[in-house]
This record gives sequence, structure tokens and C-alpha cells, in this order.
Amino acid sequence: MADPTSVTPTRPNAVTLRGGHLPWRPVSPMLARVRLITLGIVLLPLVVATVVVGLLVTRWVLLGTLALVLLGGWVAWLIGRQVSAISWVELDEEIVIRKGRLFRSLVSVPYGRLQYVDIQSGPLARANGIASCEIHTASPESGGSLPGLPVAEAEALRSRLAARGEAQRAGL
Amino acid sequence: MTEPVPEPSGEWQRLHPLSPLLRGGVVLLAILGYAASQLFDNFLSSFGFGDIVLDGAPADDTGGGDPFEQAVAHPLLALVVLAVFLGLIALVNWVTWRFARFRVGGGQVELRQGVLFRQHRQVRLERVQAVELSRPLLARALRLARVVVQSAGGSDSTLTLSFLDLGRAEALREHLLELAGRTDEASLVPAEAVGPEGSLTSSLPRPDAEGAPRPDAEGAPLPHAPLPHAPLRPVLEVPNGRLFVATILHGSTIVLGALVLFGLIGAGVRSVGPLALAGIPALLPVALGIGWGRVKELLTHGNFHLAQAGTAVRVQEGLTDLRTTTIPFHRIQALELVQPLWWRPVGWWRIRVNVAGSGSQGEGEGQRETTLLPVGTLDDARLVLSVVAPGVPAAAWDGAVLGDGPDPAWRGQTARARWLDPLSWRRNAWSDVTSAVLLRTGRLTRRAVAVPHARIQSLTVSQGWLESRLGLATVHVIPAPGPVSPVLAHLDTARAEVFLAEVCERARSARRRSEPTRAPLAPDPSGLVDWSRHPQGTPEPERP
Repeated sequence: MADPTSVTPTRPNAVTLRGGHLPWRPVSPMLARVRLITLGIVLLPLVVATVVVGLLVTRWVLLGTLALVLLGGWVAWLIGRQVSAISWVELDEEIVIRKGRLFRSLVSVPYGRLQYVDIQSGPLARANGIASCEIHTASPESGGSLPGLPVAEAEALRSRLAARGEAQRAGL
Repeated sequence: MTEPVPEPSGEWQRLHPLSPLLRGGVVLLAILGYAASQLFDNFLSSFGFGDIVLDGAPADDTGGGDPFEQAVAHPLLALVVLAVFLGLIALVNWVTWRFARFRVGGGQVELRQGVLFRQHRQVRLERVQAVELSRPLLARALRLARVVVQSAGGSDSTLTLSFLDLGRAEALREHLLELAGRTDEASLVPAEAVGPEGSLTSSLPRPDAEGAPRPDAEGAPLPHAPLPHAPLRPVLEVPNGRLFVATILHGSTIVLGALVLFGLIGAGVRSVGPLALAGIPALLPVALGIGWGRVKELLTHGNFHLAQAGTAVRVQEGLTDLRTTTIPFHRIQALELVQPLWWRPVGWWRIRVNVAGSGSQGEGEGQRETTLLPVGTLDDARLVLSVVAPGVPAAAWDGAVLGDGPDPAWRGQTARARWLDPLSWRRNAWSDVTSAVLLRTGRLTRRAVAVPHARIQSLTVSQGWLESRLGLATVHVIPAPGPVSPVLAHLDTARAEVFLAEVCERARSARRRSEPTRAPLAPDPSGLVDWSRHPQGTPEPERP
């Protein structure tokens, strides 16, 4: 039986869903830029198309342009909020990643459970010097991804994770 | 079909010569049947019986314009074509059979197959999660069996040896499990309950569940002598009658039954009668789908027998495709007791487990969950639990299964969650026992989940918008994938953080405890075989 006295009070360095005294590290602000550029690539042709159609055919289509611009502004604001909400910390035995503001999530993956670590970066991300680091365990639902790390840091993180994973490896 | 001279263990061995026939079995039979009927028709018509066969049609039309049919129309030619066809099939089968070889040795199972597209698959023994013996109907008639070695991996991580002679397959299973069982780790089973490896080797005769021959009966080349089996202790069986009732008592059938009932009542009322009758065709596919699902369930779990073999549990089930799955206790990643609402009046429970590798099986049937008890009373469930999870005290299980309301051992939702879980907020809770974390959830469909601390892959806390407003958060304990996905929703945020901290801490120490016995991984994982006992480098089956 669990003894009821084991209810530990939230320690100062406990992992918490928000705030906390741990040295949470943010991801690179370049991630926001990359995402904004992607957004622009998607939205700009649409905006141009609606403007052209609006000028040539009927002005009413310009309402669509307005809607698109508003949507773009909202998503841009959201991107800023989302990127600033991603934070991560390496503890002695786990890596913890927090994400989201409206829908918060926190995943804590022990180093010993790591199966493999992926570093990915597309052309746009590479041009801005960032990469995403994906962590995989034996369960597909439990991995965590850490987007927007500076490439050097991502590489360093991967080798750190690999070393710790090897040192603390536990059977399945 | 005689096997070649028995080879020593570690050598390449062949599958049973009939196996390609069985693998392509149904398709081949269908083709042969079709060809035979065609040829027979032509055979008859060429003797002038065609008029009888094709009554009314002009006899000239039998050959048609098709040159093939014309060529085949001659009886001798037809026989030659049939013979060539059969010969070709036999040749292809013979070649595939020649090229499919497997061996057990050097701490791994290897399978090589394919002529044009070669495949070489190997599974390290310490990565073996479970071994399954599957015997489809045709294979049962020929006393053959398929051995499925499950390892943890992606979607296609099994090594399938289909087919082997039944005796040989059983011997191979024992051999694999015995070799794989040496890397025992901390789990639901406390170390003292498992005992040393000596407990695996007992000289008790093994009661044979299915009247199968002794493994050594038919010149099984793998073990030279009868293997020292763990005694097979039957734990329980599920009567097919109860399973039938339980299968019917299912959400889908109940909904369907209600619909039919309303339909019948509606049909009685004159005004809506035609409308109700018109709905029947729309309902038919759904009904068929549901019916098929239920029949499949019955076919899968029929003849259910559960037995304990040393530190493993052996599940034997299946009405047509008789499957025997052996799961070492320490390979159980998570365990769930569940009682759907409609089973409550009869007090039945189901036990399912996550075993890495199974459940994501591609061979034949789609999802194959690992069920340790398809349906049973609470006492049956307790019996199974006492076998597979003796590390969890019975009192804790009782609390998990039936518990409700405040209990010092259980911490869970507070009144804050009653808006989201109006019925179950007093019940949803967690408890830590020495080796596992227990979750109990659900008021209507009751669920109790145990995940050994040493098997937790990761922990997740999530908080949606509404939860955030209410100051609640949901925790997921993530084991290896399977039918069980433990989740405890709507805890107070602070409490969820306590949960995270505590379970993390326990998982940490559990991992540390299991470390000394873990299999070394790099560069050449050889921790499985005790090389001092096998100086030649080839692991041999243990002898008594």
C-alpha cells in the first residue's frame, strides 16, 4: 500500500505546468520567424489572388482579403505566443518539455527510455540556423519534439541525450 | 514429409515442407478448384457431353473464340496443362521452401527467406517480448503450427516462422522463452516471488493441454533432449457459454437490440409502420458489421485457457485459429481491469495487458490485443492478478476495482472536478504500491490500471482551456503501446504536479533497481547467454 505520508509538498524545484524555479530554457526566437515566413508563403498568394479578383471582377471579394489579413494577423499573434510558451529543461534523469498556453502540455521523458533522437531542419529552418529535435521512446505517443533549437545546440543536445541514454539505459 | 537429419542447435534449419502450401493455402485451393472445374467442364464437353452441360446453347460455342479454351478443350492437353500448372506451383513452393531457413544461436533468432527479394531478419533474444504459437484450421489438420516471435519495435517487428511441425514449434517456443527469460528485470513480480533461474527448471512432467506430442516425439532437431520445462499450472478457463453471453452483452449489440425493439414496436403502430420497415435495409449493413465483430470476438477468445509456466503466463485461445501466447511476467508493460456498464449486473471483468510488439501485429487479423481474461467474475480476475501481478497486494486491487470515496491510500480528484466528472470524481484516483502505480477511473465503466514503475516510458501532463479555468490538469502515464492507455483526468493542477514528481521519482528508483540485471547493449549485446557455460560460443538448451 502507498503510505499517505508520502504526499510530498511541491518542492521549490518541482516540475510544474507553469512558472517554477527550474532553469527552463526557451527555444530560439528564430522559430517564430520561420513560422511567420511559412505563414506568409501560404497566405500571400491567396491575398494577392483575392485582391486581383476583387479589382477585376467584383469588389466584394476584397472582403475575403480583409478576412485573410485578419486571419493572418491572428495566426501571427498566436505564433508569437506559442513559440514563447515552448520551454524545456534537462534534469538529472529526465528531459522535460512544456508547450502551449491555451492548451498546455508537459512531457517528461527519462533519458533511459530514449530509443532514438532525430534532428530535422528544412531549408527555411536551416537558413535561419535552427533545427528541431525529436525524441522517441518505445511508445509512439510519448515522444516529445523540441522545435526551434539553434543547430549547434540541437547537435549538442543530441549527443548529451545519447550519452545519458546510454548511461542510464533501462530495459523495455 | 520427413525432416532432414536432425541438426544441432545453432545450425540453419528449414521450415516444414508443407508450409508454402499452407501459407498460400486458401488462395491456392481456390485457384485449383476453379481450374479443375473449368477443365472438367471442357473435359466433359469434348466427349460430347457439352450439350448436356450447356443445355440449350449451341455445342459449337463451347470452345468459343478463345484460343486457350480451344487448346484446353482436348482432354489430354487439359491434363497436361493441369500437370504443368501443378508442377510449376510445386517448383515455386519447393524453391521458396529451400530458401527459407532459420536458426537460433548466438543469442538471437534469425530468419532468412526470399529468392529474388532476400530478407534476413534477426531478433535478439533479450528483446523477445512474447512468443506465440498460432494454429489456423488447416494447420491444425496437418499438425503444424506457426511460431511468432514478438519483439518491441515498429509496426512490423515480429519474426514469423510459418510453419513448423507442432512438436518442433513447441520445443522452439520453450527454448526461446527459456533463453529469453534469463534477462529478468524488476517488474510487477517481486524478485523473491520469481525466484532464481532454478525455478524454471523443474522435473515435473508437463501436463499437455491439447494432447500434443512431447516436443521430442518427432525428431525435433532443436533440443537434443526434452527441455526442462517449467511445470504448466492451469490457472483458469473461461466457459464458452459465459463468453457467448458476454460477447452479446456489448454496447453495440445493446444499441442494435434497442433499435430493433423500437422498430418492432413502431412496426406495430399502423401510422409509423411503413417508416420502420423502410429503415430495415439501412440498418442491415450496420447489423452485419456488428455481428461480424461479435463473431470475431467469439472466435478469438473461445476455448480460453490460462496457465502459468514458471515466470510466464500462457494464454491459449481461439475457436478455429488456436493460438498459444506465452508472455513472461516481466514483459507485461501495463495491465487493465475493465468492467463495462452492461457487465455490472453479472459482475464480470476483463483483463487486458500491453505487451510490446503484440497488438500492433500485421499477420492476418488486424489489431490483436492481449487479453488475459476475456470475461470472468471478480474472483477469476483476482486469481489471474495473483498470478501475473503478485507484487500488488490484493487489498490495493480491491481498492482499485471497487473503491470509491475518500481513502487514505488513494489520492485523486477533488470537488473541483465534479463539473467535468459529475459521477466519478470521488472514484478517479491513483495509488502507489511498492512496484506499480495504480489508477482507478470510471463510475459506469469501471477501470483499474496498473503500470509497473519500471515500465513507465514517460509521463505527460496536459491542460486544456476549460481545465485551465477550473485549475485542473490531466496526467497520462505512458507505457509501451497496447490496448491499455492509462490516464487520470482532471486532477487539481498542484496535485497533478505532485503525481508527476512522485511517479517520476518512483520510476527513477525502479529503473535504477533494474539496472544491474539489464542487458548490456553496445557494442555486441551478449549478456543474454552465459558464455562461461557455453565456451564454444553456441548457446545450447539447458539439460536437466
